[in-house]
Amino acid sequence: MKRINWLGLGLLAPAFCIVIFFFLAPVILTGFFAFTNMSTSTGVTGGEYVLNQTGLRAIEDKGLPEATLKQLKNAGYRVDAKGLAAMAEQFGENAAAEFAELHGDALFTSRRDMERALKDLRANQIRSTRDRKAAAELFKRSVLNERFATEDEFRAVLIEANINPADHDAIVMQAYSGWVWTKENIELIFTLPSSLRYAMNTLMYVGLTLSFNVLFGLFLAISIFYLPPRTSAIFSTIWFLPRVLPPVLYVLMWKWFTWDTGFIATTLSWVGVAPKNWMLDTSTHAWVVIVLINGFVGASLGMILFSSAIKAIPTSMLHASEVDGASRIQQARYIILPQLRWPILFVTSYQTLSLLTSFEYILLSTDGGPGRATEVWSLAAFHTALNNYGGNLQYGLGAAFAMLLVIIGIIASLTYLRFFNFREMIAKPRIEG
Amino acid sequence: MTISIIRSALMASAVVLAAGPVLAEDITITVWAGGSNESDSYRLEAIEMAADMLSRESAIAGQELNITVEKKLDFGDWPEFKQAVTLAAEAGTAPNIVVTSHLDIAPWSEAGYIVPVEDYLDLDSWPLNNIYDNLMAVAAFDDVQWGLPQDAESRPFFFWKETMRGIGYSDAEIAALPAKVEAGEYTLENVLADAKKAVEAGLVEEGYGFYPRVSNGPDYAQFYQSFGGELQDPETGKLVLDKTAMEAMYQFFVDAVAAGVTRKNHIGTDWSQWYNEVANGKAAMWHGGTWHYGRYTKTEGNTDFFGTIEFSLIPAGNANGRANTITHPLVYLVTNQETDRAEEIASQLIKIASEPRINSLHAIKSAHLGIAKEQSNIELYANDRWASMATERLLGAANAQPNHVQYGAFSEALWKGLEASWTGIKTPAEAIAEVEAELKATLGDEVIIR
Repeated sequence: MKRINWLGLGLLAPAFCIVIFFFLAPVILTGFFAFTNMSTSTGVTGGEYVLNQTGLRAIEDKGLPEATLKQLKNAGYRVDAKGLAAMAEQFGENAAAEFAELHGDALFTSRRDMERALKDLRANQIRSTRDRKAAAELFKRSVLNERFATEDEFRAVLIEANINPADHDAIVMQAYSGWVWTKENIELIFTLPSSLRYAMNTLMYVGLTLSFNVLFGLFLAISIFYLPPRTSAIFSTIWFLPRVLPPVLYVLMWKWFTWDTGFIATTLSWVGVAPKNWMLDTSTHAWVVIVLINGFVGASLGMILFSSAIKAIPTSMLHASEVDGASRIQQARYIILPQLRWPILFVTSYQTLSLLTSFEYILLSTDGGPGRATEVWSLAAFHTALNNYGGNLQYGLGAAFAMLLVIIGIIASLTYLRFFNFREMIAKPRIEG
Repeated sequence: MTISIIRSALMASAVVLAAGPVLAEDITITVWAGGSNESDSYRLEAIEMAADMLSRESAIAGQELNITVEKKLDFGDWPEFKQAVTLAAEAGTAPNIVVTSHLDIAPWSEAGYIVPVEDYLDLDSWPLNNIYDNLMAVAAFDDVQWGLPQDAESRPFFFWKETMRGIGYSDAEIAALPAKVEAGEYTLENVLADAKKAVEAGLVEEGYGFYPRVSNGPDYAQFYQSFGGELQDPETGKLVLDKTAMEAMYQFFVDAVAAGVTRKNHIGTDWSQWYNEVANGKAAMWHGGTWHYGRYTKTEGNTDFFGTIEFSLIPAGNANGRANTITHPLVYLVTNQETDRAEEIASQLIKIASEPRINSLHAIKSAHLGIAKEQSNIELYANDRWASMATERLLGAANAQPNHVQYGAFSEALWKGLEASWTGIKTPAEAIAEVEAELKATLGDEVIIR
């Protein structure tokens, strides 16, 4: 029987916590939010019951009977016996009697009118605003614009207001202010014409950037390999800069480079080319810039990985090939590339997954422009969930966008595992077996 | 030991004092203002002044009320500010008072983040009964007064006088432009023609004939209205997409690009660059807000605003539309707190902060417009040339965007369509078709499509 190694588990614990809190929990929460209609207006933590004009209009559209609608709309404030009795109790018999004389049986549609009526009291004036508001509440017969913490409280008020019990369920459902479970987000994404464009944009972004990353990374690694050590060190440092620069600064430099008053425009104006914004002029410009911005960052990672893999190739093989008269290109084609199969696989799969979800460089550079031509799926998720001029952020819909991305990511990783036959790669080394 | 004795003695005396006739109450009120910078400091300082006044009033009424006001103004931008407020509200740590766009009232009231000020304030009392009715309406939603207007503004159309002279306008003709715009005699068609003249004459560079706002905002709803568009159906309260008006508006921007008077990649231009260019005559015509006066004269170095710039309503687009301007007031909102007392004091503070004299400090310092009628009797306000001219010329024709829970989604969809047409990714007709499909899917019954 194996003993549990507590020390080992203890050492694993921090990693375990990180995986749960930073990787697993966000995925689970995204899946959870995706099936809700959560937005700023529903709040996150739960809801109450409140019927306002907007809600009333919505249930009217859903076919609430005219009679019930009128009842709800016109209840207002009524100076009735019940209200006067309550007033007598709180503000004295005299005040209630005077008010009954002034406004007995009156119906006020708005709170302000009710308060104005209370100001008509002369002998028994209610002097403080708070008290006058409290007095007005005693006559309120409308259920509109009042928040109830629980469904039971709200239903009790509907019963008290003599609303037809057959309509209660529809009213309660409309009045709930919190979020509810729904499949509508997913359906909506599949019906929105813009979704298809975001999907195609993502495909283009991942495809082009990935090809650039791998091919340019390979080119750099191989060319640096053939340079003298000192020169190669300088070059690899330079090419590594995009990765170590803070993204905001890196993109700012690209902006200076491409703006209509930037480096390219200024330089070309010397040879008579009219200045234009080389980043945002057309969607082609934007795509080229986005692929380059992301590509240089990705290529530097590829370069490092490929370089170290190339260094692991026994130099005797290269020397032998040189004796046989192989050119540099032939060396690269027949010796280096075959040995780089696994690093290439790694870079391809790793970059696919990170490109699918990364949007920070696009956000900072084109922000999806011009005209949403470079709006990729993950950026759309961000814009939907966290960026809205009118203030109603759509968390649920944004999460649904993100969830589809998670699913695509999982499918892509499984495909890669199968396609490149990872099992073979991690098989036990035969030499030591 | 000594300390604990002193502490006991202090506590005992506190108990004695608390039981006495004068009650001491300490309360901290936190105020956050979004979209504000140093020149908007009176959005917060007004609350401090109000706190002083309320403490004095309480003292006279026999109650000691000590209010500490904590202020925060330095939020990154609007989205960050809104995220900060909503997250704080969810966590139960929302600031007592927020200064924000009136468009937030609809979603935040539904979510229960804010409480109606009408629960605490007598709307018929001073100074609330002196605030313009249309501004009070902007701070209301679904017949409930949720907040109080904090300032007013409107969004004029600007002409650079020297360029206008360069294309043949006399000084008298330039001075007559605002009236002609208001009467519908000078339209967006004339804007395009004049902008083209200015570019062709080499007075401004290509793309600088008409130089619009660089990001989404209420300004673009104005151009929709210029072509006869309506934002909200007054009968039902639903949002309205008038396809003809919207397509005409998209077409106007497409034409401006085609004529070379507006840059195709104008959207996303850096704001600082934009301000500097328009304030110093690099553009022939543009549009902005009443607060731009402060920015041009203080930050951008334009020392002769009235000598260099003429302003008017946004011209009508065609015969269906009208010259108009949108006011997008910020509002004071009171958030839902654990204790009713905190909400009551916050409400009292924003009421006092709406005093014409206090509000005039903000209006003049930040180049906004006033909220109350009596401000025209406050010398600081009345003697300010910009405030009085802008109030007279613009505010009468101003309307606001509707307070509607889905207005944000509506406005984003319209903007997406405009962006796509403007940058040539789609034709206006294609863009409208997509906007229509998108609005039908997302807003359902809440939008009327004409």
